[in-house]
Parts: sequence; structure tokens; C-alpha cells
Amino acid sequence: LKILIADDDPLSRRLLEKTLQRSGYEVTAVENGTAAAEQLCKKDGPRLALLDWEMPELDGPSVCRAVRKEKDQGYVYMILLTSKGLKTDVVAGLSAGADDYLTKPFDTEELKARLRTGQRILHLEGRLVEAREDMRFKATHDALTSLFNRGVIMDLLGREVSRSRREHVPMAILLCDLDHFKSVNDTHGHLVGDEVLREIAKRLLLSVRSYDYVGRFGGEEFLVILNNCPAASAAGRAEEIRMAICTTLVETGIGPLPISISIGVHHTDNWGSRSVEELLHEADSGLYAAKAAGRNCVKFANPNSSLRSELVQHVETAETLS
Amino acid sequence: VTVATSSILNIEELLTRVDDDRELLVELFLIFKSVFPGNFQRLSDAVRLEEAKNIQIEGHTLKGMLLNLAAHRAAAAAGELEQRGRDSQFSGLKEALAELQSEVDILLSAMDERTSEFTP
Repeated sequence: LKILIADDDPLSRRLLEKTLQRSGYEVTAVENGTAAAEQLCKKDGPRLALLDWEMPELDGPSVCRAVRKEKDQGYVYMILLTSKGLKTDVVAGLSAGADDYLTKPFDTEELKARLRTGQRILHLEGRLVEAREDMRFKATHDALTSLFNRGVIMDLLGREVSRSRREHVPMAILLCDLDHFKSVNDTHGHLVGDEVLREIAKRLLLSVRSYDYVGRFGGEEFLVILNNCPAASAAGRAEEIRMAICTTLVETGIGPLPISISIGVHHTDNWGSRSVEELLHEADSGLYAAKAAGRNCVKFANPNSSLRSELVQHVETAETLS
Repeated sequence: VTVATSSILNIEELLTRVDDDRELLVELFLIFKSVFPGNFQRLSDAVRLEEAKNIQIEGHTLKGMLLNLAAHRAAAAAGELEQRGRDSQFSGLKEALAELQSEVDILLSAMDERTSEFTP
């Protein structure tokens, strides 16, 4: 564990440094309050600190105040070292944001015990942060596939469309739907269906760049947002995604299954003033076109099309005949 | 160890503080010897100019250092100067400074003795 020692007295600094190194700490030692505040406010700075009360530039309580002002960092447990024994001084130190204080010259065993208390607090804070992050993940991600859930992917779509409008950069919306997924569930059961969905999610994520977004839109529907994607490459990117799904059988508990996906692509660098729902509706027309064309293919949306209902009818007729 | 010598330099207390690390103990003596003249000079200047705040600060710094070394008599002399600075009590300052110098001289001799004892 990293620990910071701030003391202008070189003798006290060396004594603390050696004592703490012997106890297994990774020690950073500085000689004034400004350097201490700088170290403690760093993103990966020490989370445990021993601060002398009286130091040049910033004194110990001022360092505590500076550190407590920082909101975007983990908790820093700070112990003031003081030869001040008055209760008013102790109250002032604790009010400035210190967690504890130790009277100089320190007793080694007491110092170690108080640092262990600090470690317990930091450990507890770590567990709370972990629990909060876990809850945040669960609130924003689909439980089965770990992709962004519908609410989040829709928010991201809204944000990226606004950015595309503002910066005039092209982007593509891909609405993807697994082909004949209902029959996978009906034939092999939902557990196998879940395995398929998890594997497809992995392949989708592996097929996009780190700054693209993939979310589970519905049962077997996925929404992919390709940021800063020129028209010339949108079709190719969508085709790569399609190939990533259909070229390798999906391994499941009952054996490998052939799975394919149909993709509707909506691409532009000029979205006009249409809402996200309208844009999705248009992407949906591309998806229906892909289904109508026999599935396992990529079709571009036609934003001016009013043929969606005809396409729907066409798909339904084809399914009835098959 | 007599009471008198232990109050000059309480070696048992100091060894406990350094976890019986004699090499570190000698290193601390060397640090003190290298920084004390500067601290004492600043304190003397503050006494000469009767700068209460600086007398308090320098007295406090030296007191802390001497307490870490378990040098209680010298620490008490430094503490006396710190208190006089805090109270802006300028009478008897020079005598208090001379007392500190004298205690530190005795301490330095004790440190030298221990250094030759602990250095192989």
C-alpha cells in the first residue's frame, strides 16, 4: 500500500520512512505541504498519509482541506502528526478533514495500529465503491449478454446522433436481428437460446472498434452504432459483422448451431431534424428489407420509404409459404 | 545507564523507536549533525532580532527533532525557547539559547560515543 509522509524535519521524515518501509508500505516522502497536496490529489496517488502539522507553504490542516475539496478521487485517510496537545488544536485538525492524529514523538506500535485502522477504512471504502459499480453495471447492462441495455443504447444513440449533427461527421446505425431465433428456442429450449445470445453478443463486440457501441435492443435484436464511419465503409463494416456471426457455428450445450443475422443499415452525415425514434424506424426498414431478401444479408434503409408495411407483409407472406 | 545520561540521550527509548536498527540510529545522528547548525543559526538570528514568531517556529522544529532522538534535556531547552517565542517573552532569551547550545554540545558527544559503539 502506498503511503505519503509529509514532514519538513528530515530526521523525522527518515525515521518514519524507514519504519513504514519495514512494515511493508511503499513510501513517498515530501518536505512541504504543497508537494503533499499535489501527491495526494493525483489520480493514482497514495491513499494513506501522515502529515506533519507545521510545515512550510501549506500546513497539515491546510493539506487536509485541499485534499477534501477534490471530488473525483478515492478516499484519502490522513493522520496529522503533532506535538500540539491542546484539545482545541485536535478539534481544529479533525475539522480540517484529518481522520486521526498522533502525538510526536510517535510510539512505533501505536503508529502501526493507527495505520491499520486507516487501512480498514480504505478497505471498507473499496468494498462500497465496488458494490456501487456493480449496481451501476447492472442498471446499465443487459443481464444475459452484458451488452448495454435498451435504455442505455438509446441514450447513446441520441447522444451520438447529436454529435454527428453538430460536427457533421458520418455515422451508421445498424439494427440487427438473429434469423429464425424463435426456432432455436422452440427446438432446443431457452437455455440454448441464451447460450446463442451470449455468444452473438461476444462476436458483435469483437467486430466493432472500441469507440463504437453495441446494445441489446430487444429479445434477439441488437443495435450497433458505428461512430465516424464514412459511407464507403459502412456497408463493409456491416458485412464483416454479418460474416462474424454466420461463418462459425455457435457452440452450445447441445452441439454447434448455424446462426445468421440480418442487418438493416442507416447511414448518413446529415440526419436532419428527425428524432431518434424516426431514425430507428428507418433503420428498421433496412432490416425488413434484409429479411425480405431471404435473411443473412445487409440492406440499407431508405429514409424516404413508405414501403415498410409492404415489406412487413412481404416477409410475413414469405414466412407463411416457407 | 544513569538517570542523568538517559536524559541526555535515552538510548533504550531510541533503539525501541528505530526497531533496534543501529544503522538507522547512526544515520539519524548524522542527519541531526548536518541540519542542526542551520536550524540553530536561524534560531540565533531570531533571538538576536527578537522575532517572536520565528523563535517559536525554530524552537518548535528543534524540539521535535530532539524528542525524536530521545534527547530530553536538549528538547526541554528548545521547548523553553519555543514557549518564550509564543509568549513574546524576550528577557532571558540569550541565556536560554546558550543553555540549548550547551545541552546540544553534550548531546553531540553522547552521539559520538554511541556512533563508535554501533559502527563496526
